[in-house]
Amino acid sequence: MMFDPVLMIALPLLAAFLIPVINRFSKAIPKYIPVVVIGFNLYESIMLLPYSMVKPVIVIIAGWQPPLGINLTIGPLGNILALMISLVGFVVAIYNIKFVTEEPTEKYYMLFLLIITGATGVVLTGDLFNMFVFLEITSISAYALTAFIRDRNGAEAAFKYLLIGGIASTMILLGIAIIYTYTGTLNLADIAQKMQYVDPKIALAAMVLLIVGFGVEAELFPLNGWAPDAYSQAPTPVGAVFGGIVVKAGVYGLARMIYTIFNFEGVFYFLMIMGLITLLMAEMSAMRQSQIKRMLAFSSIGQMGLVFIAFGLATQRGVEGALFQMLNHALLKPLLFLSAGYLVYYSGSKNIEDLDGMGRRKPFLAFFFAFGAFAIMGLPPLNGFWSKMIIISETIRNGFVIVAAFVLAGSVIEAVYYLRVVGRLYFKKHDDNQQEKYVHGSAIFAMSILVILAIVIGLYPDLVMQYLKPAAEELVNKSLYIQSVFAIN
Amino acid sequence: MRKILAVFFIGVFGYYMLAILMDFPFGIDHLNPGLAGAYLKDTVSKTGAVNVVTSIIVNYRGFDTLGEVTVLFLAATGMSALLYDGKTMNRSRQNASVIVKAGSRLLFPLIIILGAYVFIHGHLTPGGGFQGGAIIASGFLLMFISYRNYHVSHRILSNVESTAGSVFVVLGLLGLLYGATFLENIMPLGIPNKLFSGGLIPLIYIAVGFKVGAELTALLDTMLKTVK
Amino acid sequence: MVYYIASLSLILIGLYGVLVKKNLIKIVLSLSLINAGIHILLIAIGYIDGRTAPIFSTPELRPEQMVDPVPQALVLTAIVIGLAITALALTIVIRLYDHHKTLDVSKIRELKW
Repeated sequence: MMFDPVLMIALPLLAAFLIPVINRFSKAIPKYIPVVVIGFNLYESIMLLPYSMVKPVIVIIAGWQPPLGINLTIGPLGNILALMISLVGFVVAIYNIKFVTEEPTEKYYMLFLLIITGATGVVLTGDLFNMFVFLEITSISAYALTAFIRDRNGAEAAFKYLLIGGIASTMILLGIAIIYTYTGTLNLADIAQKMQYVDPKIALAAMVLLIVGFGVEAELFPLNGWAPDAYSQAPTPVGAVFGGIVVKAGVYGLARMIYTIFNFEGVFYFLMIMGLITLLMAEMSAMRQSQIKRMLAFSSIGQMGLVFIAFGLATQRGVEGALFQMLNHALLKPLLFLSAGYLVYYSGSKNIEDLDGMGRRKPFLAFFFAFGAFAIMGLPPLNGFWSKMIIISETIRNGFVIVAAFVLAGSVIEAVYYLRVVGRLYFKKHDDNQQEKYVHGSAIFAMSILVILAIVIGLYPDLVMQYLKPAAEELVNKSLYIQSVFAIN
Repeated sequence: MRKILAVFFIGVFGYYMLAILMDFPFGIDHLNPGLAGAYLKDTVSKTGAVNVVTSIIVNYRGFDTLGEVTVLFLAATGMSALLYDGKTMNRSRQNASVIVKAGSRLLFPLIIILGAYVFIHGHLTPGGGFQGGAIIASGFLLMFISYRNYHVSHRILSNVESTAGSVFVVLGLLGLLYGATFLENIMPLGIPNKLFSGGLIPLIYIAVGFKVGAELTALLDTMLKTVK
Repeated sequence: MVYYIASLSLILIGLYGVLVKKNLIKIVLSLSLINAGIHILLIAIGYIDGRTAPIFSTPELRPEQMVDPVPQALVLTAIVIGLAITALALTIVIRLYDHHKTLDVSKIRELKW
């Protein structure tokens, strides 16, 4: 049974508004609310899949046809990303149950619920300004969550993030102002249609402003200075949410802008070069990190660089590769973060050196981490291998051999620093005895979901590829998107 | 060095922005007949509200407003989470003079009434839920700065916030229940320019007014109490 | 025209403040200055010479006599978002001051910038 897709946004908002009241009656209930609500979102986005694959589902809001009112335009791309977001959100919500003890907990769950709602809204909406509003919901809750552990570095990381994010949001607003000035509309499909009549000089300026704005959340070089600090200072589940959800919303916004709205060939080369720089800078920095979460953060930026390179190819197969890579990243980075969170919790230190010998003492956790590391390095037959192979082969096929060589070099660096950590986990002895703590069952369950999905996708990549094909087509062939919105009139 | 770079960057940015704006002369008639023109033409007959801006905010782009309310809610939540200390604190300022105290006592109810007027008449006159809520919060701010011990219960504020926010979403969901779309104006539109017109618009704006008033008051109170 | 220049100046002054100033409060102030500039710019874009506010308070008013209502609606939303960012920024500044006892951004550098 399928419900109205607008509930994917309305229900989490209602739940978030009600949490303070519920908390009065019982302190125990709020922690289960995100599980239930995001579970509903997961169900809904799966049920929606057969419909959106055929043609984009247009959800009218307030009874007004597209250019007049706001509408949700759920194409294959939006649906797959919403599925990804609610999947990661669901897993992290289960993980949260036992892990989060920092007061005030109910506020944590409210912020957590809203960050996921915001990201879902960004990928579902069909209106530029509405996208901006949801992006702000995501980023404002991200700022608050970064500083949620009220220590010195948390506040500093949050301020840094807020400053960059705040400027980015003004840039988006300025871009929207320019677009509205020259097209007189805010609906994405309508803008895309009218953009061809706008002077290219003006369109270019608007595009630069929007790329800067979305690039911050998408961790595009040089706008990603906030990421390592925010990832490492935020509570662990939030780090997983940043890597698995917030970045995806930013990348979606960026892709939607450059593919659907604007019409510049040159931007794809720019994106590819920026992606390459992002990849190499991030992998090189990750190599030098001594803290495990900072290393994971840089690795996340590097993965996004790979995604940008694939988006820069602007071919059907390249975009498929990019989406596949995003999916793998959405599964594996939270896995790495969540397992690293417990590893840090047991060793009592954020440094990689203190993780020696965890493989013996915490076999489950170490296995999860090692699995995630191997998969993200691209070891066959795990899922990370397929997406990397698609991207590299497509890069070579389009004649960018040097780019492919650099991507391979980046992968080698990535393998080196992940293997360094995995090696420490298993092959180093650690003799001083710390107190034994249990791994919570809910966390093991959460991480197992990710591992099982990763294995299934690794063994049967075609299972996912059949859904990614129409999604990539939606981006590459923008007239499909435009027509579907106006077909309902 | 940093200043020179900044000035250079700002110069380039400003030049481009000005060049873009020069292509669009100030004050010309540029309405897009499909969107802005349609709003102006049809609003009164189709939504029943005479204030076009209000009907855009609450009805045509009501989904944005739901997001906007959420953003404010987030700010209040994030703020109280970050300033959470586990113990209650007092404002450390001195009591104000007698004149200020008496004056604010006098003005406080009037300000609250003005705020309520502004959000109840949001569909008829300039103003609305956000403006009215801000006026109400300014009334409370006046009391905070003139009375050292003036106390507002955060419990009540948070209840008002939650209730008003839920009312907004539930009013939206009513549309779905009635077989229409989310946030659709399912109530009779009434006669334009009367208080009871516009269907759901005044109801939503009243909820927004309560929510914004409570949130901004809570925000001000939290901030004032952390000043050592 | 003067509105364009004024709003643009506000945006540029704000950008300068964010890039150059060292005091945390001033940085937050500059951020809201940029926001204010964009809001004025949006309203100026919606303005049409000789027209009035889009409220049909008397029956004689015709749609042809009114300015663009959409930017005004957008600005209302944008103001609230700007307010939320400012409030959160000030909260974090309070926290930073609690920990570091300074508002100078160049002295708060425990993480790598």
